[in-house]
Parts: sequence; C-alpha cells; structure tokens
Amino acid sequence: MIELKDIVVKFGDFEALHNINVEVREGEFFTFLGPSGCGKTTTLRTITGFIEPVSGTVSVKGVDITHVPIEKRNIGIVFQSYALFPSMTVYNNIAFGLKVQKLKKQEIDDKVRAIARKVDLSDEQLEKAVSQLSGGQQQRVAIARALVTGPAIICMDEPLSNLDAKLRVQLRNELKKMQRDFGITTIYVTHDQEEALTLSDRIAVFNKGFIEQIGTPNEVYNHSKTEFVCNFIGDINRLEDEVSAAMKLDPARHHFVRLERIRVNRPADENELRLDGVIESREYYGLYIKYYIHVGSQTIKAIEKNDGINIYEPGEKVTVGIHPVDVMSYDAAPDAN
Amino acid sequence: MNAKASSWFKPNLLAKTFGIAFFVYLFFGFMLLPCLNTLTQIFTVKNADGVTDPLAVIRFFFAGNMPKYVWNSLKLALCLVVTVNIVGVSIVLLTEYFDIKGAKILRLGYMTTLIYSGVALVTGYLFLYDSDGILTTWLYEMFPNMDRNWFSGFNAVLFTMTFACTSNHALFLRNAIRGIDYNTVEAARNMGAKPFKVLLRVVFPTLIPTMFSLTVMTFITGLCAMSAPTLLGYDSINPEIVRLAGSSIADEAFPQARAALLSILLAMFTIILLTVLSNYERKGHYLSVSKTKAKLVKQKITNPVANVFAHIYAYVLFIIYMTPVVMIILFAFQNYPAIRSKTLSLSDFTFINFFGSQDYEFMTNRGKLKTRPDAISGLFANSDTVGGIRLSFVLSALAAALACVIVVVAVNYIFKNRGKKRSTVLEYSLLFPWLLPTILICYSYRTFFNSEDVWYVFNTNLYMRDNVRFLIIMAYTVVKLPFALRMIKAAFYAIDEELEDAARNLGASGLFTFLKVKLPIVLPSVLAVFALNFNALFTEYDMSATFHSSYGKTYAMVIQNMCAEEGRDGYNVNASGRRCASTVFIMLVSGLILYLVYGVGARDLADRLALKEKRRKRREKIVARLRGTGEKAAA
Repeated sequence: MIELKDIVVKFGDFEALHNINVEVREGEFFTFLGPSGCGKTTTLRTITGFIEPVSGTVSVKGVDITHVPIEKRNIGIVFQSYALFPSMTVYNNIAFGLKVQKLKKQEIDDKVRAIARKVDLSDEQLEKAVSQLSGGQQQRVAIARALVTGPAIICMDEPLSNLDAKLRVQLRNELKKMQRDFGITTIYVTHDQEEALTLSDRIAVFNKGFIEQIGTPNEVYNHSKTEFVCNFIGDINRLEDEVSAAMKLDPARHHFVRLERIRVNRPADENELRLDGVIESREYYGLYIKYYIHVGSQTIKAIEKNDGINIYEPGEKVTVGIHPVDVMSYDAAPDAN
Repeated sequence: MNAKASSWFKPNLLAKTFGIAFFVYLFFGFMLLPCLNTLTQIFTVKNADGVTDPLAVIRFFFAGNMPKYVWNSLKLALCLVVTVNIVGVSIVLLTEYFDIKGAKILRLGYMTTLIYSGVALVTGYLFLYDSDGILTTWLYEMFPNMDRNWFSGFNAVLFTMTFACTSNHALFLRNAIRGIDYNTVEAARNMGAKPFKVLLRVVFPTLIPTMFSLTVMTFITGLCAMSAPTLLGYDSINPEIVRLAGSSIADEAFPQARAALLSILLAMFTIILLTVLSNYERKGHYLSVSKTKAKLVKQKITNPVANVFAHIYAYVLFIIYMTPVVMIILFAFQNYPAIRSKTLSLSDFTFINFFGSQDYEFMTNRGKLKTRPDAISGLFANSDTVGGIRLSFVLSALAAALACVIVVVAVNYIFKNRGKKRSTVLEYSLLFPWLLPTILICYSYRTFFNSEDVWYVFNTNLYMRDNVRFLIIMAYTVVKLPFALRMIKAAFYAIDEELEDAARNLGASGLFTFLKVKLPIVLPSVLAVFALNFNALFTEYDMSATFHSSYGKTYAMVIQNMCAEEGRDGYNVNASGRRCASTVFIMLVSGLILYLVYGVGARDLADRLALKEKRRKRREKIVARLRGTGEKAAA
C-alpha cells in the first residue's frame, strides 16, 4: 500500500533520516515508535508531503507520490494538537476540506453528518465551537475532518500525547475500534511504547534516523532485534557479569531479561538458574507489585501478580529464578552501556 | 522555452513581485528618502554670500538659543521619568497590589486617560487651571493677589503630562503585577519578610523589565512632547520645529535647516534610548519559573497609619484624575454664561454645546445692542468643528486600516519565510519609523514633498491644497507601522503552525488558508490595533500641527483653535462649551471603540455561540410567556 524506499531527509547538513525503507500494508495499523528526535515524525511528514526527501521515493499503491503536492496525496492527517480551527464550529471544521473541493452545499452537509454519526458526534455538538468540546470529542472531530474527504490513508502524529493518562487509555480503545470500523490504512506516530503495543498491527522502532526493527508487537517485545529495541520497549534487567557467568552466558555479549520473566519464590523449573536474593524495596501498582531484589552484585527488578497473599516485605529473603530461554543477548554496541 | 516563460506569469509570483515593489516603494519613498533629505538640509545651507556652508547651522546652534530648547526638552523628559513612574507605580499598586477600599472605582478614574488623552486632555486641564479656568477662578476669589497665569510653563506641562502619560503604566504594569506568582509572595512572608520587604525584594524585581521599558518610553514621550508645551507655553524642541517649519528665511536665519537639525537631534536621542532598551530586553530577566502560578491576593496594609495615608493618597490622585473629566462633562451641558462664570446650575442645563445654534446678542462699548446670528453653535452644528471631525475620522480610519493591512500582509510573509534574510529586512524596514520621532517624519514629508521634483509621486506637490490629506494619511500610516507590527506579530505567534499544515493537507491554497484560518484568529488583535491607532490618530495633535493648513484642519487643530478663538463679542462665543462637548464626544468615541474591540471583538467563537444560545432561550421564553398570556385571554 505505502512504500518508502531509501528515504534520506536532510535539514541543512544534518541528516535526519538515513535510508528508510518501510512497507505498510492495506488496512494495517502501523506505528512509528521511538524516542524524541529519532525521525518518526519526519518520516510521517515525508509521507504526507510536508517534507521532501533528498533521495528515495514514497509510493502509494505503486504510484510514486514523492513530488506530488500535499493536497493531492489523498492522505488525511490527525495532528498532535488536533489543529482544529478555533474560529470555526465543529461542523465547519469537518466541512473545511469539502468546501475547498467546492462540493455542493447539500453534498457537504450529507457527508459531514454521516461522518459525524460514525465518530459519535451529535448534531448539537456539530454546532458548537471546538473549544467547547472535551479532549476526547476534539479528537473525534479531528478524525472526522481527516476522514470526510475519503483519504486512502490516515496519518496520526501523537494524537493522544496531550491528554491525561485515563483519557488516553479510553481514547486508545476508541481509536482502534474506529480504525477497524473504517478499515483505513493508518500510520500512527508515538513515543509511548505501551500505546504502540496495544494499538498496532505492526511497529517500526526508530532510533537516530534509522529503523531498528519492524515487526508485530509480540516480535518487537519478545524478540527484540537490537539492544536499543529491547531497552526501549518495556522495562528490562541487564544481567551483570556475576549472574551471566552463573548462567554460563557469553561474556562478550550483553544479556537482558524482562521483569515478568523473573520468577520470585516459585517452584524450581528445569534448566532454571536459581539465585538467592533479598527484597530491597517494592512498588505497589495494584494489579501487580514491582520488586527490587538485591542479587549478588546487582539489583534485579521483578513483577509479580498481586494475589493479595504472596506479598514480600523489604528485607525478606527470596529465591529468584531465571530461565535461559528468557534471556535476550546482543553484541555489545559501542554506545549501548 | 515557452513553458519556462509561462511559469513566470503565475499569480503567486505576480503578487509577490507587487508586494516586494510596494514595500520597497514605501520604505524608500516614504521613510528613508524624505528623512535623508532632512539630514542633507542641515549641511547644504548657504551663507550670506550664497556659498554653501555645511557647518553654518551647527555654529548657529551653539551661538544662538537653540540649546535652550534641547535642554528644556531633556529637563522635561528627565522630570517626567520620575513623576510618571511615581504616579504610575502608585496607581497600579493602589489598585492591584494593596487592598484599598473602592479600588474598582479608583481604577476607572485612573484609566480615564485611555479615553481622554492628547489635546483633549490638555484642554481639559486648561479648562480647570487656565487663567480663566474653574479652579483658578475659585482660587482668585479667595486670593485676589494670586497670579491668574499660574498654570503655565514647565510646571504646568510637567503636571499635565505626568497624569497624561500613566496610561501605559495602567495597562502594562498592571498586567505585569497581575502576572506575579502569589506563591512567591507567600513564600517570602512565610520566611519572615515584612510586607514592605516583600514588595521591595520580591515584587519589584519582577516589574523591573516592564518599568524599564515604560521609563524609556516616558523619556521619549517627554522629549517629543508637543501638545502640552504648545498649549501651556513651554519652549521645547517639537513646538520650535513646527514654528521654524512655518517660518521663512525673510524672518530669521535658515529656519528650515534649524528645524531639520532639531529633528535629527531628537532622532539621535530616540535611537540611543531604543538601542539601550532593546539591549536590555535581549538580556532576559526575572521570569516566573512556576509551573502552576497562584493568583495574586491583594495585600492588606497592616499599619493603620500607613493604611490611612495610602487611602488618602489614592483618593487625592483619583480627584486629580477625575476632576477635569467630571467638570468637562458637567460644563458640556451648561450654557455660555454659566461656562464663562464657571458656575454650575440646573437651570443653565442645555444641549446647545452639542446640537443646534442660536443668535448671540451683546451690548457694544457704545451701548448698542447687536446680534451676531448663529454665533452660539453646537459641536455638530458648527461647520468648522464638523469639518474637523469628519476629516479626522476619515484620515484616521484610512490610516489605521492601511497600517493594519500592510502589517498583516507583511507579518504573514515574515512568518512564512521565518529565518530568511528577506523577512528580517522587511521586519526591520517596518520598524524603522520607530527610530524616528514623529516630528522628524512629518517635518521631512512637509519639506520633501513640498515640491514638484519628486518623480515617484508623479511630480505632484503633496503639500499643496488637498494633496496634504494624502500626505497626512501616509504620515499617520508610517508612524503607526511599528506599533502595529509588534502587536500583530505577537498575535501571529499564537497561531499553531499545525493549523496551516492542516489546511494545506485539506487542499486549501495559501490565500484560502490565510483568509479562512489565520485571519479569523488574528482578527481580534488586528481590530484592537486598528482601534487603538484610530483612537490615537483621531485626536492626534503633533502631526496635524506640522501639516496644518486650511485643507488639513483636523479635529485636534479645531480644538486647539477653540482654545484660542473664544471671544467675548466674537464669533466663537461658546468655544469653551464646544470644547467641553468635544472632549465628551472624544471620550464617547474612544470608549465605544475600546468597548467594541475589547468587549465585543475579544469574544471568541465559544462566547459568541453561548451568547447566541442565551438570546435564543430568552426569545423562546418571551414567546412562550406571550403565548401563555394569549391563551389565558382566549380562555
């Protein structure tokens, strides 16, 4: 559906994107994930046409659109700030693109009301100023405005980043449902790995203008290709030399284990390395409890389901179990310490 | 080849070329060249032998009385800095920081200068303190030996301008003090600091940047003072420039070159001061680092003596601010004899100072009763006054609108080309008039365009006949460009860049995006700039005085004439009454415009929709009530 081939973007002498290659499939929810300044928004803006690459091509359904003007690309955008026009009512915001296309008044009205119904905006809300709507409603207006002109693709640039945590989770679900209902190819930019994992069909993890890995949420989480991806996605323990040696792991490589794979006071498992530890501290999250356990020369973090019975106190002695198959190992990168 | 040639005739390119040509024309034609011409006038003076003597004016400057004007202006500016800051800071502290009873009323009084300034304010003070003024008359009755002309010269100018120039304090210092994070005050109090120490050590440092800007602006205002020195009789630079500009070589030695020298001197002072100001602003200052600012809570003055003193001080200031306003309003509705005798009476209530006219009967020295037909005429019945109002209205509205249009187009371009050299050049060229005193620009226009040799205005003498009106519009516009630029640029900063991206993504062209998305957002600010500029220009005096001619007799000049024209047996017997009526009219116009801009224009879409909804509900309620009454009656 969308293909980026060898995309290079430069800002003056600074190369922001180095040979980016991505292929997004039709109807897919595809996420660009990475820390600030990694190039994810630049890639999105290259697709939408706000940035022209120095080299490489952007094509949609096999058609090269690299030099096609923004307005002719048929790509809808939901901006980080939603970019709703404050001087217009909700109705006029949604109708903006249709008015630019000079459609007939009745046609505009029909389309606006139809899309409003789909995104759950009432007729009353259509007559309101955008500032009179809640964050969630504003997001729906932004989506409706982006979809009303019938784009082939919709791009979303961190649309949940300005919202509070609770609303973010709620809208995340709505967003996914809407995407499924419309069946539209979606490219989503975020720095929030939890958001990426819950929403996406596939994720591209960006770092310093490169793509480190493209894969399903399960692939990038459980089978991170690089040390960066493994560190960026989710919390993780890096096993220090003492533990690595005990597990007979290659000392020339870096070894990592996810928190939920650490087994605290569980019955011994085959091939499992068992170590004695002492609870240093704990963080209570309700659904689960995070323990900081002093093991040998390092502190290992572990997550245990909160069953209300097995709750360990700081200073309490525990047994920590690590299964060799749960260890992810990478060659030491020069700057990955 | 053809394809390449046709690409040159794109409408966008045409518009861009036209825009660049217009700004080049405006900058060189109406800013740089006239002022350069003034500069060259100084050095191209011919001596008695007809030989060019470049230093003649400078020698004359040091030998003659010209330094007196410069010194007088400097003295006024320096004293004003002290007095305006004392009064300005006082009025802001008394209404915003300290808990003073009746602060809301006090604030209204202190802010009257916003709708009542310039020549209107000076004539208001004259009405009170002049040799024939109300207060002078009352004082004279008590102290017959007093000098009736006590309100003139330096002290009178200083007094008048002190209260006239606090408008900026009332606006900007008020905002600065409201921006103080109250938590910092609480923190200082919590650590044991006494209220006065908190004020001195915590509050004042945050006000210093604003105070510094206000001080520089006050100094420049004092230096370039025009209406107060002219009307109250004080020899300072600006009135002297206007006098010299109207003088001829037959009366005195090279008057034009002397006027030019004084203008350039003013410009030098202004440039130095503005450079100091911008350097200071660039350094950055004490900004609140609070993530969550707490709203300032008014401080109670705990010492009872200090509290009483503060209240007395607040109300004395209030009386000084309000007395001329109240008196002028009251006397605007009194007939001619009541105004002359400065006595208020209900039986003398009249609208004659506003509407209608009547004959004036008087006894001559030979005891003959004479009638002067229509000698008593109201503001809107006096052709001179109506002509002045109409002219000022048209010129000010056109200039204020033109300044806004030019600046909106320019700022849109500047923002689109941010960081590029051409946008910086455009911005600085529009700020250029800020460096020049108004009088220099006007004087330069008057001398430069008073010839048929300026090719780029089609060899037309723009100072001749009614062409001067065009010259006034250009001067008004150019002078107001820097202010408009600063304000409108600030408004453009508030536009989220993503809005433009969104509009482009939805297929809108640059013009469509500008008209439908950006302009509605900046429109309240643009309207505010228009209104403030219009208000300032409508009663503007300095420029009008420079361009004064029978074709360019603006409202301010009409008012000034009223001060001079009143005659016991003459034609303008009720000039004082009309003057009062004029001031009331100016206050109404200014007040109305400020209300429309800040009250109505500042409402955003949500406010407007809410108001619409409220009105709809009210209408429905009335209709339902009427129906109910009808049904009851039918039953």
